[in-house]
Amino acid sequence: MNNAMEPENDSRISTTIDEALQSIGSATPTSGLEGRILTRLASQRMKMESAPVRFPLLAGLNRSSRIPARALGFVTSCLLAVIVVAGSVSHSRKLHSSQIVAPPVLVLPSHGIGAASAVHPAAPASAPVPAGQGARGRSSRRSGPGRARIAPHSRKAPGVAVPAPASDNSQN
Amino acid sequence: MSCFEGQLAAWVAPAHQKTVSTTQTIATLVAEYSTALYRVAFSVTRNAAEAEDAVQETFLRVLRHESRLGEIRDYRVWLVRIVWNIVLDKKRRAKTRPEGEDLADHARALPSGDRPADASVISSQEHARILALIDRLPNREREALLLSAVEELTTVEIAAALGTTESSIRSRIFRARRELALLLEKEGIPR
Repeated sequence: MNNAMEPENDSRISTTIDEALQSIGSATPTSGLEGRILTRLASQRMKMESAPVRFPLLAGLNRSSRIPARALGFVTSCLLAVIVVAGSVSHSRKLHSSQIVAPPVLVLPSHGIGAASAVHPAAPASAPVPAGQGARGRSSRRSGPGRARIAPHSRKAPGVAVPAPASDNSQN
Repeated sequence: MSCFEGQLAAWVAPAHQKTVSTTQTIATLVAEYSTALYRVAFSVTRNAAEAEDAVQETFLRVLRHESRLGEIRDYRVWLVRIVWNIVLDKKRRAKTRPEGEDLADHARALPSGDRPADASVISSQEHARILALIDRLPNREREALLLSAVEELTTVEIAAALGTTESSIRSRIFRARRELALLLEKEGIPR
């Protein structure tokens, strides 16, 4: 029963959709639409013709030969670039052939303002400082042969173990 | 006629003839396609005045680009595309006015038949409800379905206007109708 109702329901829905779509698809404009459009077009054309053209030459070119404005701009910019490059190259060639440019000579002032920063003479070699009377080499204590010796009268700090003074016999 | 006048006439005459020919072409286009364009516009706007405005705007654009008229292969598709873009633009800009509320427009849109006035109004209300459901469909499906409603347009032309293939349009219309039927079942259609 329910299955039998489904096709009927489907066709009814389909018919309803068709009717709704037909209502918008077959809408008729109010009479005189064409006339109103043509009138508006005519007034618009008059406005367009009476409006001043800002760039008449370009507009004429565009209209007559159908050259797009972008292409025209591109060609113009290319021409300008070629002219600039050619001018620069010819100028540099002329300079090169007419004169050989020598390297600039730097004149350094010997005195006055800026002399100190301009001239940097080499610092004089420092003379050796004469050694004082008590001067000795750092390793002079150990310069003698054998072990270091501790004087018998030397004092030791309390608590510090001091090796016994070496005797000549023990050494031998 | 002096030599100068002769040269001037030679310059001006082609331009004048060209203007006359484009004017004639546009007038022919208006006579041939204005009703179809009105229906396309009305399918989106559902308002007579807005649809007419859209059609006028379409032909104003044609006038602005009259130099390109010679390059157009299919005028109908070209014009449908223009009016379609215009009405979609308008719809995007003015979301204030809900569609399908103007019953007078729907009543005017209905073909005059032998139905009594109250039956027409009831039918118009029902259609308005269905059109409101159509607005809930996804964009692609809705567009294809609305354009398919316009009598003058074939599936090929709809495909060209929407920039897709004919098979895609067919499947979109099928999906749209199926979706719409489901929505109608949910809502419950009057018996």
